Amino acid sequence: MTATIVVTGAGGVGKTTLSAAIAATFAGAGRRTLVLTIDPAKRLADALGVDSLGDEPSPMPNVDHLEGAMLDVSASWEAIIHRYADPEVGDRLLVNPYFRAIADRFPAAQAYAAGERMAEYIESRSYDVIVVDTPPSGGGIDFFRAPATTGDLVSGKLLKWLTGSRLPGRSLLYRFTAKPMLRIADTILGGPMLSDVADFLLDLRTMYDALTTRSKTIERYLRDAATVIATTADPTPLHETHRFFRELTDIAIDPVAIVFNRALPGEWIDDADRPLRGIDDAALRASAKENLRAWASEARRQADAMVELSSRYGTPLVTVPLASPPPETVEDLRGLVRDSGIFDLIGT
Amino acid sequence: MTATTLTFVTGKGGTGKSAVAAAIAIDRARSGLTVLAIDMGGNPGLGTHLRGTSLSYDPIETRPGLWAMSMDRATALDEYLKLQLHVPQGAPTRQIAGALSVLADTAPGVREIISIGKPIYEVWRGRWDAIVVDAPSLGQFQSYLRAPATIRELVPTGNVRRQADDLATTLADPDVTSVTLVTTPAELPVRETIEALAVLEQEALCPPPRVAVNRALEASGLDRGDVARLPANSSVRAAAELQVAMEADQATWSERIPHDVALPFMRGVLTPEEVASRLADAIGGHT
Repeated sequence: MTATIVVTGAGGVGKTTLSAAIAATFAGAGRRTLVLTIDPAKRLADALGVDSLGDEPSPMPNVDHLEGAMLDVSASWEAIIHRYADPEVGDRLLVNPYFRAIADRFPAAQAYAAGERMAEYIESRSYDVIVVDTPPSGGGIDFFRAPATTGDLVSGKLLKWLTGSRLPGRSLLYRFTAKPMLRIADTILGGPMLSDVADFLLDLRTMYDALTTRSKTIERYLRDAATVIATTADPTPLHETHRFFRELTDIAIDPVAIVFNRALPGEWIDDADRPLRGIDDAALRASAKENLRAWASEARRQADAMVELSSRYGTPLVTVPLASPPPETVEDLRGLVRDSGIFDLIGT
Repeated sequence: MTATTLTFVTGKGGTGKSAVAAAIAIDRARSGLTVLAIDMGGNPGLGTHLRGTSLSYDPIETRPGLWAMSMDRATALDEYLKLQLHVPQGAPTRQIAGALSVLADTAPGVREIISIGKPIYEVWRGRWDAIVVDAPSLGQFQSYLRAPATIRELVPTGNVRRQADDLATTLADPDVTSVTLVTTPAELPVRETIEALAVLEQEALCPPPRVAVNRALEASGLDRGDVARLPANSSVRAAAELQVAMEADQATWSERIPHDVALPFMRGVLTPEEVASRLADAIGGHT
């Protein structure tokens, strides 16, 4: 049985680094581990010992038992089409300009493709642990919603609107798009946009049964996964964390932990008010004290945010310290999460 | 530096672009202009920084001379049809609106031109001295800029096409439009910003962007020698170590990216509105 850990949170909170740190720690304990990531920083890639990650999993030279893959959305959608569409329909879809645009830009497409890849590797049974770094759109919430949203797209909801209540065959559709009201719409919009879109949706619909079944499977894997929400004290990450609890109760199980990243030592808050001893140089004493006071004020802000999160949701909150410079080696990465207690909570 | 009418503020997630957008809007309003700030990203950032709460489609005055609104696609679509596509009298408006909203969910470029059409429409209407847009993050902003070209590929004629052409012209006009990229002095944001600058300059769909480096630590005057003279295992020493290490790390990254303005890292308990005001102090007409 593969244990899946999904790391979610707003952009810029350090999800990719946390995912790599968690994965490197599992791999260090001898577990066959895969990290599915988005776009690692150069420094992080260097720490893992790779120049760049490919679409297929490859071993990380600096870490035994760890493989990594980076998500290429277009490639993932092509694979989905090849798997679920008839060859003839598949070929037509792959050259359709609407399909290309959807694969690259439909907000749920990247998230759905990530879920599909996750499911694929869970089913390969090649790994003990899979760590998924969620795509940044919608604070990772899109990732959990994507199976349902994608279902709506292919379910013919849009098609039904275009054609009236029932789903037409191709010939009926053409008769329908010749109707005066849609002709006026086409004139104003310019060109045969509506019939082109309807054509595309008809092709997409042939994948409906396969894709809805698949979406249900992905949703089940997501419910079974251990979800970790990464946040900082900034307004947007806090807002995304609140949204996760408000909006995802039906899809995701309770997150196993909130990881408060870039945390400062809480004792700085009280220590900033204590008199400084043992420093003779008055100028140094003043600037060092002023510096501690500024950081203590930030620590205070973090403490307030942490109290708000843990008192409201009852989800265990763990902290990962602010590291400067950021982790440069595998040991730095593991050190980042070592004392956080997060592994007791993930419990695999 | 003279201010253009329309300023888009974008950047990688987590760099504080909403706070910077709010600050630029405050700065413009302080200089006596009548300003409209638009949240285009659907996140609460701009609203919390300007008035501590969320915004609506109807602009409200948050500070003297500074109005703020947030995008709402359904209302924007309605406005787009009536005011920008000039749907003729007697046409089945409701059906066309329905068709467009299906298109916006499916066809490339349509969603984007409706969204980016709103601030541009406000420019054409001429009601404001300055419009500051809290735009989506870098990647999404780039697909907004490309939307008119995408429409051009898919739509040979018609009102949508004409409107898209007008959008592209206004977006590329340096006398009207400016773009500010917000970054922080750290590896990923700097790297992404450099990549985005190259793409934006090559595609030339908007004037060359300005760069704001946000969350730059103000110099503490401490150095490694000072740290060594502080008591071992004390909080004051640990905080000094962090400061010296971060100043050095930030310096390497901010040196790599030419920037027009550096904005301070505000540590501590401030409300989002206070953060925006302090950033506006630091901007003081510089963007």
